[in-house]
Amino acid sequence: MGLKKTEEIMASESELIRRILAGERDLYYELVAPYERMVYVSALSLLNNKSDAEDCAQEALLKAFRHLGDFKGESKFGSWLVRITLNEAKMRLRKFRPELYESLDKKVNCQDGEYTPQSLGDWRETPSEALERKEVRDMLEMAIQSLSEMYREVFVLRDVQGLDVATAAQVMGVSEAVVKTRLLRARLRLRDMLQPVLKDSSVLSHRAFSKGRNPWL
Amino acid sequence: MVMTCKEVWREVSNYVENSLPPKMREELERHLAYCRHCTAVIDGVRNIIVLVADGRTFSLPAGFSARLRARLEKDL
Repeated sequence: MGLKKTEEIMASESELIRRILAGERDLYYELVAPYERMVYVSALSLLNNKSDAEDCAQEALLKAFRHLGDFKGESKFGSWLVRITLNEAKMRLRKFRPELYESLDKKVNCQDGEYTPQSLGDWRETPSEALERKEVRDMLEMAIQSLSEMYREVFVLRDVQGLDVATAAQVMGVSEAVVKTRLLRARLRLRDMLQPVLKDSSVLSHRAFSKGRNPWL
Repeated sequence: MVMTCKEVWREVSNYVENSLPPKMREELERHLAYCRHCTAVIDGVRNIIVLVADGRTFSLPAGFSARLRARLEKDL
C-alpha cells in the first residue's frame, strides 16, 4: 500500500468497512494488516514489554472490530486504531501498575526546564549505515524503552509512527504545546543516551577515519 | 543578535523540523557555525529521528501476524 494515495487508501478502507459491517468478518484482517506495526508499537510505547504489548494490540483490534460501526471517518482509520490501542494500554496500566499510570497523567511535569547535553560528539556513521547493525537497533529500542511513559508515548507517536502534532495531541488528549515540549525533551534525552554508546563503537571510528573526517577526541 | 547555547537547545525540534522563521533559523545557523557542541546536539537529534522513522526499528515480533490472525479467527 506504500505507493497508494491517501484518498485511495481511505476509499478502499471505507469499502472494506462497509463490507465487514455487512457481515464479511473475514475481511477484517485485511483492513487492519497495514496498521499491525503501528498498533503494536503504540501498545509497546506505554506497556514497555513485548508480550504485554502484543496481547494489548490483539485486544485493541478486537475492540476496534466491535466498535467498527462507530468509526465515522472523521480521523484517519490508523489514528482511530492508535487511540483505541492507547486507551487499552492505559486501562491495563491503571489496572496492573497504578503507580505508573499516575506519572502518565501528570501534565505539569513536562516543563522544558534547563537542559544540558550530556556528551559532546558527532555521529560518525549515517543513520542508515548504523541501522544495518542489529546492536544499533537494539540500543535504540532500549533507549526508547528507558524513557518515562510520558516521553515515550509522544516520541513513539510523532517520530516512530510519524503522526503530525495535531493528531498526536488529539490521540493523547493533550494540547499541541504539551506534545512539542515533551517531544523536545524526549529527543534530547535519547540523543544524550545514544551518543556515548555510538561514539565508542569501533565501526563508527573506522568509518570516521576512512571518510577523512576529523575525529574529535 | 547572538543566540546562546540554551536558546539553541530550546529550538532543536523546530530547527530539525524546519519550522523556524527564516531570521531565527539564520541566527541559529550562525551559532552552529562556531559551536560544535550545539552542532553535535542537532546532528544527534536529527539522526535519531531518521533512525526511528525507519521501519527496521521496532519491527514486529516473529509470528505476530499469524498469532493475530488466529486470535481474530477465534474471537471475532
